[in-house]
Amino acid sequence: MPMDEKTKTLQEDFEKNFADLELVIGWETGFDRLHATPVFIRQPSELGKLVWNPLCSQNLSGYLAKNLDASIQEDGKKIGICVKGCDSRSLVALIQENFIDRDRLYIVGIPCEGTVDLRRLMHLKPSLENVRKVDIEGDEAVVETDQETLRFPIENVLARKCLRCLYPNPVIYDTMIGTPLKPRISEDKLYSAVEKFDTSDRKQRLAFWKTEFNRCIRCYACRNACPLCVCQDNCIAESRKPKWLTQRDGIREKFLFHMIHGLHLAGRCTECGE
Amino acid sequence: MNKKRDMMISETGTQREKEIKIIGFLCNWCSYGGADTAGVCRFKQPTDLRIIRIPCTGRMDPLFVVKSLIYGADGVLVSGCHPKDCHYAVGNLYARRRMELLKRFLPFIGIDTNRFRYTWVSASEGQLWQQVVTEFSEEIHRLGPNAGLNEKMDAETALSLFNTK
Repeated sequence: MPMDEKTKTLQEDFEKNFADLELVIGWETGFDRLHATPVFIRQPSELGKLVWNPLCSQNLSGYLAKNLDASIQEDGKKIGICVKGCDSRSLVALIQENFIDRDRLYIVGIPCEGTVDLRRLMHLKPSLENVRKVDIEGDEAVVETDQETLRFPIENVLARKCLRCLYPNPVIYDTMIGTPLKPRISEDKLYSAVEKFDTSDRKQRLAFWKTEFNRCIRCYACRNACPLCVCQDNCIAESRKPKWLTQRDGIREKFLFHMIHGLHLAGRCTECGE
Repeated sequence: MNKKRDMMISETGTQREKEIKIIGFLCNWCSYGGADTAGVCRFKQPTDLRIIRIPCTGRMDPLFVVKSLIYGADGVLVSGCHPKDCHYAVGNLYARRRMELLKRFLPFIGIDTNRFRYTWVSASEGQLWQQVVTEFSEEIHRLGPNAGLNEKMDAETALSLFNTK
């Protein structure tokens, strides 16, 4: 099913069911057609804003636990939410941990062919502008602008998490838009990069993480985007009591922050790649 | 004046070897008692261990270990009640899961996993405690001081890192 049709089906489905819903969380077109951004819809007249395309990369399930109290059902009204395969797995984890009541949700699952990493796209085509549409057709990402139609092999423009995605289809949903897809990668190849890394020298590994973490500016956006980082204001990275991290800069604090994030997600992470 | 002070520093610096610091997290009910037993029995023990008493090994956050090692502790020893002997029934079982996770995680982030050890010592096992502490201290002395995140790479390793990227 082409993207436009999916968007239409998505809007129609929510229109049909809007009487039971107090809120719909989905994606809309951002400040231009090359960006998608989360949208919260409370009026049926605004449903036309909803879109579905390969730019809808944000995992929306985090909002349910962090910004809305979706753990209890009050007036019988539900929250409608759009999920990709990876997002649906986060949703399951949040339901298991009792952050969300399943009965409170109306889940629309969308099988996903992968999301486009804008940074990779802009790297290939820095002068990209006046984009009209981005779509995925088979092994190619198609970008239509006012002037021309560009085609890129998906290996070059998809987010890396999407290239090694094992769950393109939602694992939990009330309605599915489109037909289920086959994953591009087999399970045994999933962690080949990690396995390769594991064979390197210990000092090399430490040096690698030091280089990577040195880029961190501790803006905590990774924590805010992570659907399972649910401590909110009680996050130990920011609390003074207990005091884990100081305001000092330098690699030690950055390193420790990422250890906190990593170990707090150990056994819980669903690898949504946010 | 400054010159004199620098000389003094360098003299004392050469005289004294860098002291090894090992952090021990001991549970209140078993291992802390075990260490006490070892002391009461006057068993000879290495002096590198700094003990932190915790209510139960279930209190152990793997991050305690990670933070100690990042901030330059030379070794971390965690010790609690034997499985099934926990004062709070299951605290040490939670701890065991976390510590096993950590043992696999440390090599991944490039920290020598030999600097971290967890054991079970009960309050009556003074002798065993002496043995555990002596062995672990010897191991840490063999590994030398922990450079932590300041670890320098030799030129060859640095080059190979550059090549694989």
